[in-house]
Amino acid sequence: MKMTLFRLGGLLAALAWLTPPADAADPAPLRARLKASPFKIAYESYADGNWDIFVMNADGSEPVNLTKTPDLNEHYPQVSPDGTRICFVADKGEGREAIRSLYVMDVDGSHRQKIADYAREPFWSPDSKVIGYLDQEYPKFNVIDYYTKGMNFYEMAAGTITPHPNYTNLHHLYNPNFCANGKWIVSTLHAGMGYDHAILLIEAHGNKIINLNIPGCRPRFSPDGRQVAWGASDNEIAVAPIDTDADEPKVGEWRVRIKDATNKIYHVRWSPDGRFLSFSRGPDGEGDVSKAGTFQAACEIMGVYAPGWNIAAVSAGEAGTIDLNQANEADFTMLTTNGLSNKESAWFRPRVK
Amino acid sequence: MFVGRVPSRGALLALLSESEICRLISLLAGLSLVCSCGKSGSENPAGGPAATLPATPCEAVTKSGVEMVWLPGGEFLMGTSQGNADEGPVHKVKLSSFMMDKYPVTHEMFTKAQLPNPSHWQDNPKKPVERVRWRDAKQYCNERSLLEGLKPCYNEKTADWECDYPAGGYRLPTEAEWEYACRAGSEGPYDFGPPDKLRQYAWFADNAGQKTHPVGQKKPNLWGLYDMYGNVSQWCEDVYSPTYYRESAAVDPRGPASPGRDVKRVLRGGSWNASAAMCRATFRQGQRTGDTDACFFTDFCGFRCVRRVSAEELQVLKANAK
Repeated sequence: MKMTLFRLGGLLAALAWLTPPADAADPAPLRARLKASPFKIAYESYADGNWDIFVMNADGSEPVNLTKTPDLNEHYPQVSPDGTRICFVADKGEGREAIRSLYVMDVDGSHRQKIADYAREPFWSPDSKVIGYLDQEYPKFNVIDYYTKGMNFYEMAAGTITPHPNYTNLHHLYNPNFCANGKWIVSTLHAGMGYDHAILLIEAHGNKIINLNIPGCRPRFSPDGRQVAWGASDNEIAVAPIDTDADEPKVGEWRVRIKDATNKIYHVRWSPDGRFLSFSRGPDGEGDVSKAGTFQAACEIMGVYAPGWNIAAVSAGEAGTIDLNQANEADFTMLTTNGLSNKESAWFRPRVK
Repeated sequence: MFVGRVPSRGALLALLSESEICRLISLLAGLSLVCSCGKSGSENPAGGPAATLPATPCEAVTKSGVEMVWLPGGEFLMGTSQGNADEGPVHKVKLSSFMMDKYPVTHEMFTKAQLPNPSHWQDNPKKPVERVRWRDAKQYCNERSLLEGLKPCYNEKTADWECDYPAGGYRLPTEAEWEYACRAGSEGPYDFGPPDKLRQYAWFADNAGQKTHPVGQKKPNLWGLYDMYGNVSQWCEDVYSPTYYRESAAVDPRGPASPGRDVKRVLRGGSWNASAAMCRATFRQGQRTGDTDACFFTDFCGFRCVRRVSAEELQVLKANAK
């Protein structure tokens, strides 16, 4: 009997090994699978002479402007893991006089509330109860992404702000986000803290800092915290395993590589089920300062008008390389096509609070 | 190996110590104030004797405390026939007077302007900033102008941040201004004489240890400017064209017109990772501006600022230096 069970177990294991993941075997076009998903995607777009935050269905249909504020330029939507709130930043004013502030609102755009001025790069705790953010380095505005110092945590229920225990040593970080167990924050760093440039793990409630020793920027943990995706270069996004329960997490062998030889690809984000990735995609450029509320720098930087940039999506299920210039519709689709500087996507499963 | 003529005046002055050179400059500058009959001074609004611009270099300190050297206008032979192809032909250029930063812009200067320091080596605030995009350098110029109540030269609402030269604020030097300042009246590749003295005047690949160094540690050139030949290469305002010297304007040249995209701008001077052959007064580099890069990793790109001043203002700035 024991032998029979053992054989049966082995057979099942072999079958499981032979059966590819659902996404890899699914012949349906990616757009159809996204349409069938329960998810929505928030993103920023420069429409009608102003930056606003939009929400669309996961297949790119039915975009809705959530902000519609002609005097403010909203950027960088981050949706709480419970799918109820969006935190974001908004710029008021022009040029060096602009002030970037941190806001939060419901996912339908209601109950908008300002949290802090001179605040950047917000991110949610895994329990959706805390918003982390970075202080601006100096009061005078600068569009550069690493123009930050320190890190703070805003407690949603209490309305209190607590500095990170290692606040004074955190400098020039950008694009931070929590891992699922709440133990680590992963972030890019440029020119500071004794590093030239790095992707770092920062202990969320302590002083430990680990250099992940991977090239590029803008890392993003998968919702289960077992993978990290990041921009390995201007033209490549990579995905690799990571054990965030370990005391010294390390990035494993790169599992997925998304490449685009003709466009920049940036701002990778995970769907809540970890099956899909979205990202911003568009041509190289340095902005168009004739447009109000915009700045001149690389197109991927928040606040820089990026003509021709759109939100794209790929399946994250299958290991291997996806060349966007040769990928078929089963693996890759463009979610926006109007080219109105669509950037910084954020997936969520909508819920009413 | 490039071998140039050694001016006898340069060789003589190279024998002097730094303090001796400074004393000589001060002496000449002082004499010029007494003796100069230059006609570039403007009317004195107070009704007294009109101030005149001196005939020799002098030190000045700006309103925000930055040390600069004022350089008289003049004519010089730009380029060389003994260097790379883009360094010729040799052509005569006439320049108006201007002030140039005594040192490349340092970390502490950049921080004072409330700009994010992009530098690779941040262990000493007296080190020159590097990894500076061309537009970052121009932004610093504008911020320093605003800090001192001056009209910024750069229009930040134009694609290339066009330079309003008469505005009177700080700006990057033109390529001609940079070479004129570096040559300091000499005619060879180095104002200090023979190439084997380069170590005394510059941090470069042979002595820098693969990093930048605090400014002002090496000897200055004949006009009192430090780190012209090494430490960090320095952005100029001009678009780089290898053939520009064939068509350059003869008076205050400002470089070729911008082609719009994929522009290279002029970098002058050697750097911590440059060979000795690159650390010459006439050596030219064309460098992409880095403005489309979120992170600019070119860690030998620094800069210094220039500005034009009236005779009256120079008197005040000179007094600050004493």
